[in-house]
Amino acid sequence: MRVFTCYFCSGPVYPGHGIMFVRNDSKVFRFCRSKCHKNFKMKRNPRKVAWTKSYRKAHGKEMVYDKALAVSAARRNVPVRYDRNVVATTLTAMKRSADIHAKRERMFFKKRLSGKKSQQLAEARKLIGQNVPQFAEKETVEEQSGEPQEAQVVSDEEYAMDEEPAEAVKVPVAATKKRKNKKSRGEGAMDMD
Amino acid sequence: MIGLKGILKVIDNSGATFAECIRVVRAGQFASVGDEVVVVVKKSRTGPNIATANKVKRGDIHHAVVVRTKFPLRRADGRYVRFDDNACVLVNKDREPIGTRILSVVANELRMKNHTKLASLAPRTV
Repeated sequence: MRVFTCYFCSGPVYPGHGIMFVRNDSKVFRFCRSKCHKNFKMKRNPRKVAWTKSYRKAHGKEMVYDKALAVSAARRNVPVRYDRNVVATTLTAMKRSADIHAKRERMFFKKRLSGKKSQQLAEARKLIGQNVPQFAEKETVEEQSGEPQEAQVVSDEEYAMDEEPAEAVKVPVAATKKRKNKKSRGEGAMDMD
Repeated sequence: MIGLKGILKVIDNSGATFAECIRVVRAGQFASVGDEVVVVVKKSRTGPNIATANKVKRGDIHHAVVVRTKFPLRRADGRYVRFDDNACVLVNKDREPIGTRILSVVANELRMKNHTKLASLAPRTV
């Protein structure tokens, strides 16, 4: 039994899944599911289809070359006489290199998304300024003259409710695991004056 | 799934290029990879020297073995294999190939169905 990789999406193809297509020049294409197979039949290039691994690697969304994995790739196909110690060290090495690789991928992801903080802060300030009158930007006089009228009508409870939408809108942006602290950052921005 | 009227590409050097199925030898409507089929040669290779060297002519009736189908083939491990076209190899009554060479890839099922000669002639089996 062998687990192949899908030609289109680079996912695993387990036995009993998918279709293998053999072209007349003997090139074999394996697909994990009909979605990939159909995209292939439409003559789509996987490097241009956004949900595939090859697109992500071609566009720098994911790490392409990792030293942690390359170390194991060298001299992989030489059979070695069974030695219990070698097997034990190999297993621990496999786990360790997988951990390192995962860590590096997380760092890569973090770096890739790191340049946006200032932009997101500016967006958050603008959003708060639009929804919460007290924290409106004081640069434009028109905004100020318009909003105090609304402030008089709205009660204190509704002020509190007004703040939540601003946060609620922010949450989807900060919903990923990596940026749990973004939420507190948002509150900090609101506390600033 | 080759049945009556199905057009098959002939991938040996017997001289035929396209053949039309007129009978599926085994019981049942359709032939799959490794099944024997009776065909009429619809088109053969043309050219100044080729025509005389051809072993078969247009309109000849021969037996053939299906070697590739567009219809997916189920393998024992549950995987399916699909080829790009429907192809056959012309054989005689003793299931020996009329041509001497097979020109492109064939399915592995031929080995299982006692067409080892064809499988060994092929440049590649998948």
